[in-house]
Amino acid sequence: MSALISSSLQQRSVIYLILLSALVLSCIWGLKIGAIAISPQVLANTLFNLDGPQQKYILLTSRAPRIVLALLTGGALAIAGSLIQAVIRNPLASPKVVGINSGAAFATCLMIALFPTMTLTNIPVVATLGGALAATIVLLGAHWRGLSPVRLALVGVAVGMLFDSGVDFYLVANTSPEKAAPMMWLTGSLWSRTWSHVEAVWLPIVLLSGLAFSLSYQLDILRLGDETAIGLGQRPALMRFIALLTATVLASISVGVVGVLGFVGLMAPHMATRLVGGQTRHMLPCAMLVGMLLVVLADCVGRALAPPIEVSAGVLTALFGAPFFIVLMLKSDRETTG
Amino acid sequence: MIVKSFQWLTLLVALLLGAVLSLHVGGRADVGIADLLAVITHWDSPSLSQSIMVDIRLPRTLIAGLLGINMGLSGLILQAITRNNLASPSILGINQGAALGMTLAIMLPGFFPIADEAMAVLGALFAGILTFSFAGGLRAKVSPLRLILSGVAVGAFSFAMVRFSFTLDDEVSRDVILWTTGDVAGVRWHDTPLLLALSLFGIIASVLLAHRFNLLALGEAASQGVGANPHITLVLGALIAATLTGISVSVAGPIAFVGLVIPHLCRAMIGSNHRQLVPAVALGGAALMLYAEAFSKIVITGEELPLGVIAAIIGAPYFVYQALFSKEMGL
Amino acid sequence: MGRFLSLMIAGFTFIASTQGLAAREVQHELGTTTVADQPKRIVALEFSFVDSLAAVGVSPVGLTDDNKPERITKEYRDIIGNDFVSVGARKSPSLELIASLQPDLIIADKTRHSSAYKALSAIAPTIVLDSLTGNYQSALKQAQVIGDAIGKGKEMTARIAAHKARFEEVKAKVATAKKQGRTFQFGVVSSRGLYLHAPHSYNGSLLQALDLPLALSANGEGVSYESAYVKTTLEQLSQINPGVLLLGRYSTPALTDDWADEALFKSIDAVKNDQVYYVSGHTWARLRGVVAAEVTFDELVNAMDQVAKKDAK
Repeated sequence: MSALISSSLQQRSVIYLILLSALVLSCIWGLKIGAIAISPQVLANTLFNLDGPQQKYILLTSRAPRIVLALLTGGALAIAGSLIQAVIRNPLASPKVVGINSGAAFATCLMIALFPTMTLTNIPVVATLGGALAATIVLLGAHWRGLSPVRLALVGVAVGMLFDSGVDFYLVANTSPEKAAPMMWLTGSLWSRTWSHVEAVWLPIVLLSGLAFSLSYQLDILRLGDETAIGLGQRPALMRFIALLTATVLASISVGVVGVLGFVGLMAPHMATRLVGGQTRHMLPCAMLVGMLLVVLADCVGRALAPPIEVSAGVLTALFGAPFFIVLMLKSDRETTG
Repeated sequence: MIVKSFQWLTLLVALLLGAVLSLHVGGRADVGIADLLAVITHWDSPSLSQSIMVDIRLPRTLIAGLLGINMGLSGLILQAITRNNLASPSILGINQGAALGMTLAIMLPGFFPIADEAMAVLGALFAGILTFSFAGGLRAKVSPLRLILSGVAVGAFSFAMVRFSFTLDDEVSRDVILWTTGDVAGVRWHDTPLLLALSLFGIIASVLLAHRFNLLALGEAASQGVGANPHITLVLGALIAATLTGISVSVAGPIAFVGLVIPHLCRAMIGSNHRQLVPAVALGGAALMLYAEAFSKIVITGEELPLGVIAAIIGAPYFVYQALFSKEMGL
Repeated sequence: MGRFLSLMIAGFTFIASTQGLAAREVQHELGTTTVADQPKRIVALEFSFVDSLAAVGVSPVGLTDDNKPERITKEYRDIIGNDFVSVGARKSPSLELIASLQPDLIIADKTRHSSAYKALSAIAPTIVLDSLTGNYQSALKQAQVIGDAIGKGKEMTARIAAHKARFEEVKAKVATAKKQGRTFQFGVVSSRGLYLHAPHSYNGSLLQALDLPLALSANGEGVSYESAYVKTTLEQLSQINPGVLLLGRYSTPALTDDWADEALFKSIDAVKNDQVYYVSGHTWARLRGVVAAEVTFDELVNAMDQVAKKDAK
C-alpha cells in the first residue's frame, strides 16, 4: 500500500502547520458566520473584552460552544475511524460499520416510545449507551466467531440493519409529527448545543484520545501481521479488542452529543494517510486535525447557506463525503484490499 | 437429480396459506375469505364486501406476491453474478438509493421533469452502479468485504439526505417516512399489469439463464470452457435484476431483506442448482411477502403498517444470524 | 395587637404587590420561570403561542413561520401587524436571531424545543408549554398561562370568556346537523395519505367538546388510537364510516380525489349523502388557540348549515 510510505519529519511539520492554521482560520470564520452578521471589529471587542460594541451572547454563548463541540466530536470521530480502519485493515471501514449510529438511533427511539414523559435532554446519554451497546454486541459476536475483519464488518452491518429496521418500525408506527422529533437530532446537528454539552463530553473524549495515541505504536506492530506481533510479545486479539472498544466509546459519545455525522470517521483517516503516510503513530494526530476541520467547516457552511434555516452538519459531511468516497474508491481500485 | 417433492410441497402450501391469510385480514373485520368464494358464485351482483375483496384485497395480495417474486429473484441473480451470497438490494445500497430519489422528488416538487416513481428507479440504479463500481465492478470475483462496505457507504450517504428531509416540514417528513418503508395500502388493479408482465419476464428470463448461472458458479474459466461467455451472463443478469428491483421500488418503495433471505432459505432446501432455485425463490419470495402483507394489517389494531417495515423486521434477524454463522465466504 | 396585625398584613400586601410589579413566577412544563412584569419583547416558537398573543392584542417581536410567511395568516396579521422577525422553522429556530431580538420572554413548545431549553433560557426567561400534543382544552389553559405571563391575565380571562360564549353559540348551531347515529370526523389528506384526527388530538377534542360524536371513537370501541393522527386506508375508512367528513386538503389532487370513482368510497355514508366538506387544513391542523378556533368555528358552522339543509330536502 502506498499509504505505508512515511513522510519525513520536516514534511510532517509543514503539513501540521498548514492544518493548524486552516483550523484556526475556520474557527474564526465559524465565530463570524451565522444568522447575525458580526464585523471583525465586534469580534475582536468581544473576544478580548475591548471597549466598543460587543456581541457576548451570540459569540460566547451560542457560537463558541458549537465550535468547541465540533472540534471535540470531529477529532473523536476521526480517531475512532482511524482505529477501526487499522484493526479491520480495510480503507472502507468506519464507525458506522460497527453499528454505532444505528444503535444510538434505536436507543433514542426506544426511550421516547417507552418513556414518553422523558424530555429530549436525555438523548445524549441514551444515545451513547445505545451506540456502545450495539457496538459491544457486534464486537462480542465477532469475537466469539474469531474476530476476523470480514466477520466483524459483516456482523456490524447486520446488527446495524437490525437496529435500523427497529427505527423504521418506530417511525411508521408513530405517524404523528411529535414522535418524529428525535429525527432532528439524528441528522447530526450542532443546533442548540451549549457549554453544558461541552462540559459533559470533553473529559472522556480527551482521555480516550490520549489512550488511542498511546496505542498507536502497538497498532503499527499489529500491521506487520499477527505472527510478527506475537513474536514481539503482543496479544493481537486483545490489542484489537482494546482498540475497537476505545473507538466505539469515542464514536458513541460523539453520536450521543451531536447525532450522526456521516463519513467523518471514514474521510479523516484517509486524508491523513495521504498527507503523512499510513503509520498509525504519524497519521493519528493528523487525522484528528482533519476530522476537526471537517466538522467545524460543515457546521459553518450549514449556518451560512440559508439563514435563519440551518442545514444539519451531518448532511454536509455526507455531501462532502460522497464525492470524496468516489475518488477514493477509484484511486484505490487496483490496490489490494480486505 | 433428485426431485425434492416434500420441499416443493412445503413451498406451495406456504404460498397458499399466505395468500389465504393475506386475503382474509384487513381494515374491515366483516370481510373475509368467504367473500372470495361468494364472488365466484355471485359474479353478476357483488355485494359491498365482495367488491372490497375484488377491488382492494385481491390487487394488494397479488402485488405483494409479485413484489416477493421480484425481490427474491433479483437477490438470487445478484448473488449468482457476483458469486457472493450477501448480494441483495438492501445490502448493496440500492434500496437506500431509491429512497433518496423519492425523497428528492417529495422535497422538491416540480423540480424534476419526471414522475416521482421514475426518480426512485433512477436513484436505485445509480446507487447500484455506484456500489458495484466501488466494489470492483462485475469483471472479477468481488470481495465480500468490499461489497458490504461499499453498500454501507452508499446507503449511509443516501440516508443522511433522507433524514435531512425529516428536519423540514412535518408533512414532508411524514410522506418520506411512509414512502421509504414500502407501503402498498393504496395499490389497485391498475397498478398490476406492468408489474405482472415484468415479473413473468423475470421468471422466464431467469429460467433461461439458470444454466449459465450454474456454470458461473463453477468459475469463469469453466464457464468459458463450455462456450458460455461469462460476461454476457453478467450483463444480462445485472439488467434483469435492475429491472425487477426498479419496478418493485416504483410500485411500493424499497423492501428490504427478501432478496437476501429467500435465496438463502431456498438454497438450504432445494440445493444450488439454479434451474430449481429460480422457481423455488419465486414461490418462497411470494410466500414471505404474503405473510408480511397479512401481518402489516394486524400488528397495530385499527391501523396499518407499511409492508417494507414488516419485511425488514422478519429479515434483519435472519441476516444477523447469517452474519454470525455463515461459512460461505471462506470464513 | 389588632393594629399590629393589620400593619403586618399591609406590609405583606405591599411586599407582594411590589414583587408583582417587578417579576412573576410562571409555572410551566419544565419548571418555574421568573418572568419580568409586562414583558414587551416576546418571541413565540409555535403558532398557538402567536395565537394567544394575538388574542389579547400583543405583537411578538419574533416568531417561527417555517420560512413560509403565508403560515402566519391574515387573521393574525390583522392584529399583530407585519412588524415581526421570522426566526426560522418551528423545528429548529435560529437561536442567534432570537438573541439578536433581545427578548424578555420566549415561549417554547415542549415536544419541539425541550432539548434547547437551556440554550433558550440563556437568552431570556423561557416558558415551555405543550402545544403540539395538547388538545383543545389544554390550548385554552395555555392561553391563560401566556396571558398571566405577559401581565394580561385579566384581558385573557375576558377573551377566553368571550370565546367560550362563542363556543356555546356554535355548539347550539351545529346541533342542527346532528342526527341519530350520525358521526363526524376531521382529517387531513395529502396526495399520499389520509390521516384522521383521533379523539385525543386537538381537532378531535374540539369536535367532541362541541358534542359532535366522532366516527373514530364511535366505531373504535376497545380500540385505543395511539397516534393522534391515524393513517387510514380506504378499507378502514369504510369500516369507520363517518356520516360527515371534514377534510383539510394539503394537495391537489389529494388521495380522496383518486378514490372518487371507487364503489367502496361511494358506499361511505358521508360520500353517499354528499356530506364531505373541505376546510382549511392549515387553520384546522397546524394552528390552534382562541383565534384559530374561531376561524374553524366559522367554517364548521358553514358546513353544518349545509348538512342541515341537505337533511331538510
